[in-house]
Amino acid sequence: MLTATPAIQTRTPDELAAAVRQSRETATPLVDYGVAHRGVGNPPPESHTPLKQCASARGGVIEHYDRDMAIRVASAITVADLHAALRPTGQFVPIDADPDLTLGEIINHNVYGALRVGYGSIRDLLLGLRFIDGNGDDIHVGGRTVKNVAGFDMTRLLVGALGELGVVYEATLRTYAIPEQIIVVDVQLDDPTRIDNRLTDLLLASAAPTAMSIANLTGKWMVRMGYFGKPAGCLAQLRSLETFLDTIPGARIAGHGPMTLDGELDEIHARRSWRRTASSLVKLVVPPAATGKVCWELAETMTGVSIHVAAYPVHGCIFAGGDLNAHETERLGRLADELCVLHHGLRVWYNRPAGAEHLAPFAPPQDDWSLMAKLKQTIDPRWILNPGRLLTPPTEAYPR
Amino acid sequence: MVGASGTTSDTHVIDELRAVVGQTGLICDPNQMRIYECDGFTVAKGMPTAVVFPTDTDQVSRCVKILARHGVAIIPRGSGTGLAGGCVAFGSGVLVSTTRMSRIESIDLANRVAVVQAGVRNTALSDAIATSGLHFSPDPSSQRASTIGGNAATNAGGINTLKHGVTTNHILGVEMVMPDGSILQTRAKGLCDGIGADLAALICGSEGTLGIITRLWCRLTPKPRYFRTFYAVFESTHDCCKTVSDVVASGIVPTSMEVMDGQMIRVVEDAFHYGFPTDAQSLLLLEIDGIDQVLDEQMRAIIAIAEGNRARNIKQCSDPVRRAELWSARKRAFGAIGRISHSYCTQDACVPRSKLPEVMETVARIGKKYDLRIPNVFHAGDGNIHPILLFDEADPEQVQRILLASKEILEYCIEIGGALTGEHGVGVEKLHLMPKMFNAATLRLFLDVKKTFDPHQLVNDAKLIPSDKLNIELLKPSSMNIPGGAL
Repeated sequence: MLTATPAIQTRTPDELAAAVRQSRETATPLVDYGVAHRGVGNPPPESHTPLKQCASARGGVIEHYDRDMAIRVASAITVADLHAALRPTGQFVPIDADPDLTLGEIINHNVYGALRVGYGSIRDLLLGLRFIDGNGDDIHVGGRTVKNVAGFDMTRLLVGALGELGVVYEATLRTYAIPEQIIVVDVQLDDPTRIDNRLTDLLLASAAPTAMSIANLTGKWMVRMGYFGKPAGCLAQLRSLETFLDTIPGARIAGHGPMTLDGELDEIHARRSWRRTASSLVKLVVPPAATGKVCWELAETMTGVSIHVAAYPVHGCIFAGGDLNAHETERLGRLADELCVLHHGLRVWYNRPAGAEHLAPFAPPQDDWSLMAKLKQTIDPRWILNPGRLLTPPTEAYPR
Repeated sequence: MVGASGTTSDTHVIDELRAVVGQTGLICDPNQMRIYECDGFTVAKGMPTAVVFPTDTDQVSRCVKILARHGVAIIPRGSGTGLAGGCVAFGSGVLVSTTRMSRIESIDLANRVAVVQAGVRNTALSDAIATSGLHFSPDPSSQRASTIGGNAATNAGGINTLKHGVTTNHILGVEMVMPDGSILQTRAKGLCDGIGADLAALICGSEGTLGIITRLWCRLTPKPRYFRTFYAVFESTHDCCKTVSDVVASGIVPTSMEVMDGQMIRVVEDAFHYGFPTDAQSLLLLEIDGIDQVLDEQMRAIIAIAEGNRARNIKQCSDPVRRAELWSARKRAFGAIGRISHSYCTQDACVPRSKLPEVMETVARIGKKYDLRIPNVFHAGDGNIHPILLFDEADPEQVQRILLASKEILEYCIEIGGALTGEHGVGVEKLHLMPKMFNAATLRLFLDVKKTFDPHQLVNDAKLIPSDKLNIELLKPSSMNIPGGAL
């Protein structure tokens, strides 16, 4: 039974630093697992203080360097608010995440999606960070310029660090012009494995998409491509795709059409909404050319269980899950682990139902975890920031 | 032959190292080591005790264990094309050169990843996959000579990084020999994601201060197929830089936008005769890539911006031969400087692109103030300026003036929201300016991170992070050969 004390809400960096220092002095962990990643990693210590940051004035936008295609924002800004703030300027940050997620949650969990093909992930979009370390010190790294190699790259170090190395309170990001045209294309596939060895060819062809995902959400394997750019370019790419698909047996275009940016982002959100509600959800990362095979195995091997599978094949990232009970979740876990061994991949549980909490949150163990733990010790000597979520404290200071 | 310091303990260390790398895998004769006294930052020189040339990770590990046991300073070095004194042994120490670790170990086109030893030259990898349509995108000007390990250690940029990213965007994982000789692998399976903090990103750009990178998992990306290239000249650098700023603000992302000022145009033209108008005050060389069907439209928009800023002599080209010539002109620009000055110091700051016009005016003003010639050739699209301060190495007074001017330029760039270094790194050259860029807590954290990797602070110590270990006083008289003259 968790005995969380009332949440601390901070509005300014100074308040945040004070909260961290207070927690350090009282050895009370500060916990922020986000809203969509509560199931990632080990649970928080029994006794902890939830931390919430409030977006500051101006809706969380601190400064928009519109002529430099960059924006400085509070980490508590949500994706929806970020898009809304930028929309009137004709710019956007190509973050592909649920609209209610904060930028801080996206950074902590390295959230990305279909748009990573054309725009990169948050790791590529981040120019600078400000965060409070475990000592309560205010750390500023990176900045607003698009290149910067002064000092250690703590900015990217924190991406995916699960909030264990610092509490991010501000970030500077690249922005892009909202594309004139977006065309989305749904391609039906008989067999997802057919794309595995053609991904490089696709990226080399004029049909290379800006966004790409594959899923079996409707019972059929559908690849969703997005072409962003000038109308003439999108049209040319669509024609190239038609030619390209002629070389893939069992692939056909099921539909295509123009889409606004907001419409496309809404659809992306709708297609990933099952992940928020699934009782069981596991993420696998495999070599990209194994994506289709792993998707197929996940969907077809779990007989008698309805499994949703969605993947970003260019980056080998796969989500699988559904409303499974503990026994079914264990089966899914065994299969995921076997596939990881077979393809030298890795997996992370996002959601586990009651009775399946014992499943190891991460696998296989990575060679660099011991060094990460030493870094954690350096940056957060009292282990108060999301302690034990991934990295094991030197002694089990915090009962779970 | 004993090395520069010539002590008995040096002899023991050298004997042990030779047992690992063989007779030909180590040099310690000062005459042979002369080229290892400095990198591209020739103002700072220091003779190492020895240079070892391991051929694989195991040899690096064994060498590092020997050096750590003896408490000898360890300085990682690629091909020595750095520009900030980051791979030089100041005082003493053994250089560990990765240049003989030049094997491309595997190329996986289906997964678009190559595994290379750290000493593989940048272009060697792209050459090896030339027929595949893929390439290794980072393209520093030194790419024919520089190693991928060195590119990663300095997070090198280049001409095409405006659209395609710097080195860290193209490194999936690294293997590194830690300062105790153990071997770290981080994100080493070539996957596009990992679990936990991104240590590979931390190691990229750490300038060899955390360990010696020995192997890398490199992301291979499609080589652009369709281009449009243009150049235009301007009557003022201000107009040229305003064009760059306006293109950025329009949302167009060119592959590259490079600027040469009038001095540089004339140097390049005198040297190579590309046909650039020598009366121009500035030249913008710009390239876009992407879907063939939209490039002309995009180029028309860019030309309209240039014309709005009073460009003249706008020349477009899609001919591959002429395009290659134009880029050759850009890449050979630094080499041409040797025709007008024996010595030069290239600065490297990054500024908000909207401020480029006033930045270039300020650089010119500082040049006048210190009575220096400062030609400029730079990655304008990134806001990455490279003022080239010309001087005579034999004249200590001139050396002082270029150092003072450099300091003033960099301080100004930091004040307007820029970065101390865009792609060359801190090394020893910019140590004194780190406190201008970072608050005390951040600098303290950098040092703590360094100590986490290197508790005894043996590997490339006192580079990147200011400390009192090296008395870096670039402005001290008679400090021409060694920063501070007291290293």
